[in-house]
Amino acid sequence: MSQAHDAASGVTHSHKKHYLRIGAILTVVTAIELALPLLKNYPQIWEPARPLWAPALIILSIAKFGAVVGEFMHLRGDRKIYYFLFISPLMLATTVFVLLSLLSVVMFRPFGAGYAVTAEARLAGYVEPSTGPAFEQPLDDAKFAAAFDGAKGKQFADGKKVFGEKCQACHGAQGGGIANLGLNLTDDCYKYGGSFKELYLTIGKGQAGGKMPAWAGQLKGEEIRQVMYYIKSLKGTNVAGGQPCVGDKVP
Amino acid sequence: MSAELATAPGHDAGHDDHGHVSAENNFLGLPNIKLAMWAFLGSECMFFGSLIGTYFFYHGKSLGGPLPTQVFSLTITSISTFLLLMSSMTMALAVDATRLRKLSQARAYILATAVLGATFVGFQIYEFSQFVSEGLKLQTSLFGSTFFVMTGFHGAHVTVGVIWLTMLSMLISNGKLNKDKASVTVEVAGLYWHFVDIVWIVIFTFVYLLEFIK
Repeated sequence: MSQAHDAASGVTHSHKKHYLRIGAILTVVTAIELALPLLKNYPQIWEPARPLWAPALIILSIAKFGAVVGEFMHLRGDRKIYYFLFISPLMLATTVFVLLSLLSVVMFRPFGAGYAVTAEARLAGYVEPSTGPAFEQPLDDAKFAAAFDGAKGKQFADGKKVFGEKCQACHGAQGGGIANLGLNLTDDCYKYGGSFKELYLTIGKGQAGGKMPAWAGQLKGEEIRQVMYYIKSLKGTNVAGGQPCVGDKVP
Repeated sequence: MSAELATAPGHDAGHDDHGHVSAENNFLGLPNIKLAMWAFLGSECMFFGSLIGTYFFYHGKSLGGPLPTQVFSLTITSISTFLLLMSSMTMALAVDATRLRKLSQARAYILATAVLGATFVGFQIYEFSQFVSEGLKLQTSLFGSTFFVMTGFHGAHVTVGVIWLTMLSMLISNGKLNKDKASVTVEVAGLYWHFVDIVWIVIFTFVYLLEFIK
């Protein structure tokens, strides 16, 4: 306490030692924070205390925050109006932060339980989505082709509906593509392969680092198949104003 | 409120940056520039609070990769975090030296702070270019957008701070910094600098470290 008081009262001796000490404490706390993730390698320590690690990190960072504001900015012991001017918006900002985080959980619930978890697992290395049989294994090109030939009519109408909901925002209402967003689906070129199986996988798993999203979590396998057929039916229609050809020409 | 503040607690007596109403000091006897800086920093709390809040609102909701754990490098980020923490310490030492009217010493600390800050920005530029080469851009996903906007604004703040500190050190070199006002001038720059540091303390813990704890 006396340190901060001196700082505010203009006493003409140096607080160098005090600041160096605070710097050393901050360094040690940061080192502890960095060491925490490494504890994962020691499951016998990590697992039993698992729920404690995140709160521990948060408490350490609050301590660092307090040390910088209280000592370096010497808000501690300075005039109360500075404290008021800074701490009240800080409280408001913290409330906004906490509410947004909670709202995020509530708002995304309609997308299915564990939406975030499945989305991340899906990306981390493709796994079967929990909602609906998205990927019927094995994906067989010959079977797809047979179904495609016999499926004119209803299948394409269903696929067109899915296309209108999920695809046209980037690929255009006619499938001609949009510059910097989606490729032209009406030419003979396919950047990620034009076979039934390849198209199916591109829709399900995504491409281009997620620019083409992985739809497997949001669409059922049947819907992916329908939209894949619809896209396949667009091939060679070459709508006016379509984007230039990208990728290999597929006969 | 103001009455209570005006009848200052005893320990404020003799404080060299206030005590009388003048062009620099307001009716509370406080330097306007310092009061303004604290008010500004309060508004900055809301600014960064919203950006960090938005990041967490959309956390884990990206439809495509790369994921945070796939691009974050704890080694790189912890080095730059450490540099920024140390820059806060050198800044505190600069304010201390100015208060004691050791301006040339203060200048050295201010320059050290600016160099550490510039190094931090350099690390951030390197980090951003790594992320882009790994396929994470501003427009890639919710993660990309919220991450780059949040950390980009922080980096911009550090950059402004570096310019400010460089100008301060030039003022001191040229003898243009009024010795009587130097204490408040440097202290206010310090407040800004420390604020930029605490924003990074929050981002480093919540955005980076917590990702590796899950």
